[in-house]
Amino acid sequence: MRDHLVFYLNGQRHTAGASEATLTLSEYLRDGHGSAGRLCGTKIACAEGDCGACTVLVGKPVPGEDRLVYETLDACIAFVFQMDRRHVVTVEGVGGKPETTPATRLTPPQQAMVICHGSQCGYCTPGFVMALHGLAEAASQDVPPKGYSEDELRLGLSGNLCRCTGYEQILEAGRSLAAQTVGPLDQRYDAAAICADFAQLGETSVRLGGSNAPPNGAPNGSIKVLTKGPAHDAAATSGGIFLPATLDELLTHRAAYPSARLVSGATDLGVQRNHRKITIHDVILTTRVPELDRLEVQDGVLHVGAAVSWSRLEAFTRELLPAYHAILTRFGSPQVRNAGSLVGNLANASPIADSIPFHYVACSTLELASVRGVRSVPIADFYQGYKQLDLAPDEVITNLATPLPTQDVALRLYKISKRRDMDISTVTMAFWIERKKDRIDSVRLAAGGVGPTVVRLPRAEAALRDGEFTLEAMRAAGRLAREEITPLTDVRGAAAYRLQLVENLFAKCWHELAGTAAVRA
Amino acid sequence: MPSSGKSLPHDSAHGHVTGGARYIDDLPRQAGELWVGFVGSPVASGKIRSLDLSEAREVPGVVCLLTHQDLGGPNHFGPIISDEPFLAEEALAYLTQPVVVIGATTLDALHAARQLVRIECEPLEPILTIDEALSAGSFIGPKRRMTSPGAEDDARFEAAFATAPHTLSGRFFSKGQEQFYFETQAALALPGEAGDVRVISSTQNPTETQAVVAEALGLGMHEVVCECHRMGGGFGGKETQSAIPAVMAAMVARHTGRPARVVLDRHDDMLVTGKRHAYQTDYRVAFDESGRLLAAQMAFYSNGGAFADLSTSVMERTMLHADNAYYVPLMRVTGQVCRTNLPPNTAFRGFGGPQGVAVIENCLEDIARVVGRDPIDVRRTNLYRDGDPQRSVTQYGQIVRDHVLAEIVAELEASSDYRRRREAIDRFNATSQTHCKGLALSTIKFGISFTTKFLNQANALVNLYTDGTVQVSTGGTEMGQGLNTKIRQLVADEFGLAPERVRVMPTTTEKNHNTSPTAASAGTDLNGAAALEACAQIKARMQSYAARLLENTERGLVAAAEHIVIDDGWVYDDRDPDPNNRIEFGLFCAMARRERVDLGARGFFATPGVDYNRDTGRGNPFFYFTTGAAVAEVTIDRFTGELVCDRADLLMDIGRSINPGVDRGQVIGGYIQGVGWVTNEDLCYDSAGRLLSTGPTTYKIPNITDTPRVFNVAFKDNPKHQKNLRQSKAVGEPPLMLGLAVWLAAKNALGSGSDAKVCDLAIPATGEELLNRIEALSSRKPVLIARS
Repeated sequence: MRDHLVFYLNGQRHTAGASEATLTLSEYLRDGHGSAGRLCGTKIACAEGDCGACTVLVGKPVPGEDRLVYETLDACIAFVFQMDRRHVVTVEGVGGKPETTPATRLTPPQQAMVICHGSQCGYCTPGFVMALHGLAEAASQDVPPKGYSEDELRLGLSGNLCRCTGYEQILEAGRSLAAQTVGPLDQRYDAAAICADFAQLGETSVRLGGSNAPPNGAPNGSIKVLTKGPAHDAAATSGGIFLPATLDELLTHRAAYPSARLVSGATDLGVQRNHRKITIHDVILTTRVPELDRLEVQDGVLHVGAAVSWSRLEAFTRELLPAYHAILTRFGSPQVRNAGSLVGNLANASPIADSIPFHYVACSTLELASVRGVRSVPIADFYQGYKQLDLAPDEVITNLATPLPTQDVALRLYKISKRRDMDISTVTMAFWIERKKDRIDSVRLAAGGVGPTVVRLPRAEAALRDGEFTLEAMRAAGRLAREEITPLTDVRGAAAYRLQLVENLFAKCWHELAGTAAVRA
Repeated sequence: MPSSGKSLPHDSAHGHVTGGARYIDDLPRQAGELWVGFVGSPVASGKIRSLDLSEAREVPGVVCLLTHQDLGGPNHFGPIISDEPFLAEEALAYLTQPVVVIGATTLDALHAARQLVRIECEPLEPILTIDEALSAGSFIGPKRRMTSPGAEDDARFEAAFATAPHTLSGRFFSKGQEQFYFETQAALALPGEAGDVRVISSTQNPTETQAVVAEALGLGMHEVVCECHRMGGGFGGKETQSAIPAVMAAMVARHTGRPARVVLDRHDDMLVTGKRHAYQTDYRVAFDESGRLLAAQMAFYSNGGAFADLSTSVMERTMLHADNAYYVPLMRVTGQVCRTNLPPNTAFRGFGGPQGVAVIENCLEDIARVVGRDPIDVRRTNLYRDGDPQRSVTQYGQIVRDHVLAEIVAELEASSDYRRRREAIDRFNATSQTHCKGLALSTIKFGISFTTKFLNQANALVNLYTDGTVQVSTGGTEMGQGLNTKIRQLVADEFGLAPERVRVMPTTTEKNHNTSPTAASAGTDLNGAAALEACAQIKARMQSYAARLLENTERGLVAAAEHIVIDDGWVYDDRDPDPNNRIEFGLFCAMARRERVDLGARGFFATPGVDYNRDTGRGNPFFYFTTGAAVAEVTIDRFTGELVCDRADLLMDIGRSINPGVDRGQVIGGYIQGVGWVTNEDLCYDSAGRLLSTGPTTYKIPNITDTPRVFNVAFKDNPKHQKNLRQSKAVGEPPLMLGLAVWLAAKNALGSGSDAKVCDLAIPATGEELLNRIEALSSRKPVLIARS
């Protein structure tokens, strides 16, 4: 068990204790913690992971190799405790070494942004530079480097907002780079030395702060007592910042500190913290537990462990589940998808979560583990009300098991939002339709953004079941669906708009499946 | 080689891409520095019953809690009408209106104290919308009128409507827009040794900031210096509204003797600052069978918010752009600002122009449907015609001259393949059951100059050093628009130097005083001209000295300043071009100093020939017009209202560009910002007057994936334009209004499947707005939601 964090920042080794661990990464950088001095190139414009001005690259060692894989991350909503055994590279750290002349210090993305007039006020620019580097890093994973397409370029930069340029010049900068190789960061920094240092630290748990020693063994059947949160003196039971390295340690710690926050990507936690809705002192990080790193298809069932990030799932489902993959590419931003996870999203229980309607119609099952054992819960039973879950205080979601649709299943997933990318949905819907010839054999429908939880639409399902698959039938089902939901009016849309969307999506779905849509989805 | 006309990179580009460029929050922390924040009104309208600061005062780290009683001068200010208190006294006029200013040693202490300030108040029923203000008779300033020559007579004006082959009337709605500058409002105040204060502010308006801080603190203006190195975006949002944060920091600095910095977080910034005005316009137009406008009447009402700010001036520009690029023989325009309980709305790129232009562009789209012609032809029919005195006079009496509007429309029609695409879209719409497409052209004719005459002035300070390098200072501020880059190029050319030898300095009121805000697209026009005037003074002295220096009576060269050339890093007499008789520029400067030649100058510029009488609604408010047009194509999903911008073609006359790379950036950036206003940027308020969209999570500015896949931007040469700095034209605001092409294309698409003559559509055309209109058109159901 280690009692401090170890990470690298622009090639320099940093160690941090409990007080610095709960800072956001951007605070750590901008306030000049450690030996780095103030690194103010990482800008804060929204503090909620929605503009990308704070984008940094975070390198993770590849097991058994002398290299790191870098991904973009929003530093404003990431915490320092997530950086253990990572290499953080900021805009100050991508360029040439300080001894080089200013002219040669610019990297190709930086140079391209200068030449293409990619900056105006400059505030978002470091974030774009880092996102371009992120694209280059991803492209450099292929041998030979494959570059990126126009679509990949646009999606790769969709996590960064700019108010001045109108983006065209930034795209031009990005395109000018597609053909050439941007030197990967592993050439800029001594990856072997960093990896060796991390390897030497080993796969041990880390615990920072906390007011008493970790408990020995499982609590003796005292779950009920433990659930009485208020009976516990928060200070006396603080588990501090805990980064377990095994599932056993995770569950044991969870049982002892049921009020601790389980954190995977912190993409929602960071926002709440910046809005000063919560304070962070009692945390369990789930992303370093190998048992939770499961991402595979077994006997036609997709298993996604709690430590699997959205971007890994996105890549994994590209051919496996194209409709799901397409929704995932519009989930948050690339930076958010690199941090956040499906299981975190499930636990967060937002009724407008983009992924959940699919898992409703696929009849996914959550696997929950605690020191008492393991159990499975169908997803529709897991959600009992607005942010009310069938989850005991000592339980942890370890995995989501999803039966994959067979060839007979037509799967259509919809996300309607005010803006196409980097927006929270107004309405989400999933259609799972099995047809035999022109008749509907079975049908499952789910909608999000229309009530306190994602809901199935049983009346619409019943109306369609065993009927002919016609536009009229779908329209009629759409009208029924309206009556099954009770959406709210909020900043993302009026209740009437949501009702109309749900109704209309039935017809839209029909046209897409019938091949009569004028524009390919 | 002159650098003007070249696409030099932005002069801070290196700092931008490396993260080295500093903004207020990046400046090093000062010893003893305090964090500054505020507590605002909990209600949109009401009266303070009691204010309890005792708990907040107990928070460790809280150094001061200040109210209006701690001001050193009168508690009111305003750029036009001085009706706005710095800090609320008893009356509360909008939600979050600042009441208490806090200085604390840590951010945590500041936030803790903010939670503990107790404001007890008696809430009153707020006025939030234009309709509510109209009912209550709640206005700011008088109702302004503008009547085109010939439309004064009621009978004649009404006859035009009575006898016209067609008329249309309606009510048009456009919502506000958040500036969404990336750097929020911020200021750092440094107390001086004698009660004076230096304020480093993210402001477009250092002189106003200086004046307001002096007033609030009870100081003379000479005791306050305001500096601005750069802004992380302004867009008008820092023309007046940067003043209050500067006052907050300065108050804390003055009361504590410690440096004090305020950096609003995004949420607070969006809640408390003013935005583009929402408008409601009653209009009617009369036109003939060809769609030619015969008469138009427009009554504009804007939601001004709680205090005047710039609202009356914004309304003036709306009225001055009610014609856009089209000649209206008989026109009557009125404008009235409504006083409501929202934060005072303010400048935003376009400054009222977009709201005026939108109304007439909307009319032209409807007119085209009524007369059954393509909208591009109806627009062409109505354009101001250069050189035709019958079709060149605006509703305020200014003649529109030396323009190439007709050529722009013709060239764009061809280059955008408008006709062929129109046919393709018609075919698409005839068969598509799921989507509709639309195509539209819109134009812009934007008047350049402040409509308030005295603001059309600038001064500049040019310092030439003995190594032949130059520092230039102007009152212009750099917010990303490339002002400094252009001024650098202009000054470098004036001395025949490489641009690297010229540096544009941070703006401060101690070098340039009594300056106008960097606004109205006129930053380069005004400040560039002032800088050149300073250069000319220095050059005259240099030439006079060089003439004596290079005089050679033996060879018959008598001293003649007019023969002295200063170019390409050399000084020489053009009658003696022998390289050996040239003097290197830097060496020459050193020699000049030794001969006591003054190598510095302050230049001044006042725009000639502009004047406007707002009481009569007549005059020549504009030095010239920047013009252009755009063609946009969109596809809309009939089931969801989702809109995709497929293609955009822009063509603008921006004169002879000083920096085409910078100007192209302004055109594209302005256009996309305009597209944001007309599509997804949706300011939502609750019934209590609280803004609900307070960050990028809920307020959606365009994303990179929203930009059109085909995006052509070109400039149209206009040899007729001989005015202004190096025959350039201002470019900052005009392209924003071309974003209306997307909205018009959406409107065009909606009409495609319907026989309705008029398809009402509000701004912004969000997916919700579009779907509501689609449903209403297809089923003749009433519109689902009444918008205000």
